[in-house]
Amino acid sequence: MQTATETNIRSKSMSSAQPDNPDHAAALLSLVANEQSRRAFSELFAYFAPRLKAYATRQFGNEQTAMDLVQETMTNVWKKAHLFKPDRGSASTWIFTIARNIRFDILRKNKHRQYDLSADELWPVLAEQNESFNDDYGLDDELLMQQLANYCEELPKAQRTVIEMIYVVGKSQQEVADALGIPLGTVKSRTRLALQKLKELVQRND
Amino acid sequence: MIKFHPSEEYLFNYVTGELSPAMLMMVGTHVDMCPQCANTAQEMETALANKLFGQAQLPEEFEAGNEGFDGAAMLAEIMAQTPQQHDDKVVKLSNELILEGKRFELPATLARNHHRIGQWQKLIGKMWRAPVQVGGQDVLTMIYMAENTRVAEHTHKGNEATLVVNGVFNDETSEYRDGDIMFLDGKVKHTPETRQEDCLTLAALDAPMHFTSGVSRLLNPFSSLFFK
Repeated sequence: MQTATETNIRSKSMSSAQPDNPDHAAALLSLVANEQSRRAFSELFAYFAPRLKAYATRQFGNEQTAMDLVQETMTNVWKKAHLFKPDRGSASTWIFTIARNIRFDILRKNKHRQYDLSADELWPVLAEQNESFNDDYGLDDELLMQQLANYCEELPKAQRTVIEMIYVVGKSQQEVADALGIPLGTVKSRTRLALQKLKELVQRND
Repeated sequence: MIKFHPSEEYLFNYVTGELSPAMLMMVGTHVDMCPQCANTAQEMETALANKLFGQAQLPEEFEAGNEGFDGAAMLAEIMAQTPQQHDDKVVKLSNELILEGKRFELPATLARNHHRIGQWQKLIGKMWRAPVQVGGQDVLTMIYMAENTRVAEHTHKGNEATLVVNGVFNDETSEYRDGDIMFLDGKVKHTPETRQEDCLTLAALDAPMHFTSGVSRLLNPFSSLFFK
């Protein structure tokens, strides 16, 4: 069975649309992502693989390493096409950044470099988009939280307010200063005094 | 408003990965914080992609030297694998750093490398530092200066780059705030200090051998910020 999109792409191909046309390349990627279309991937491969090979050969001056880069890059395009986000840039830019990352990781393992830092830690090209930052503070021990909540009751009201806004609501010190209409320095000293007091309370009751 | 940016050359070398790991972290963190440089970096990626993939015809010398390219076998091998589907797996990263009872929100590049930030050590005065293990020759360090802290006047034998992650510091020539990045070579003398506000910075230093000896460490108190 042929889908409407596939027919559309096919007719575009017939009218000599090339993957260097950004819209066409993006449409091919979306066919790979949504339907695992082999025909769409073959067309992308025919266009990008030789160009990647030319780039990698210049970079490495080594046939085998160059082929490794082509294969690894195009494998990612096949397996992770769903991570391409058209609103963030063109298909060819996305493929370039995948190749850049693979090149970086090949080079960093070179005996003259031995970098610890990996490409996806620098440029998260293939990270799921819903990568999110964690804002629990490692204090998931319910008992400890309950205890701390009790200790907070013992703080002077002004300090407690600041602590709650920072550690419960999750505001920055500057936001707390703005919200309460007090100087940043005051927020900082209240935080410091409150934490000192809490530390004493925890230690005393340990 | 960020006043101090890396040069276009640094940005370009960041985009291609041609900097030391320490400097890649520095520029990457600046790019996280600076929409203007993020935009430039993206334009550079697009330009490089166009240069690489844009030509309708492959260069002739490439076609000639390309006889060994067995596209069909590779294509078949790739498509024999199962494509991945969307997964709902959320990668949780901790972007929060708590130091001296203060909460800092780390920019994305640092947050992704949170596990590389080592133990915080208290230094003379109200300064703290933690090494960031990224490999390579340069040394990458996070430095925290509490309010009203001053570093003795010093010069560096190597090149130093400092990025403000959060807060403010001053030296003889300027004031540096969130996202500002400054580069110093060995000739410049400077005296960084904080005033009413504290300051968390990321600093990279290239590491000449003679810096690491015990004697020069005694002679240059600031080098202890970077070297154990």
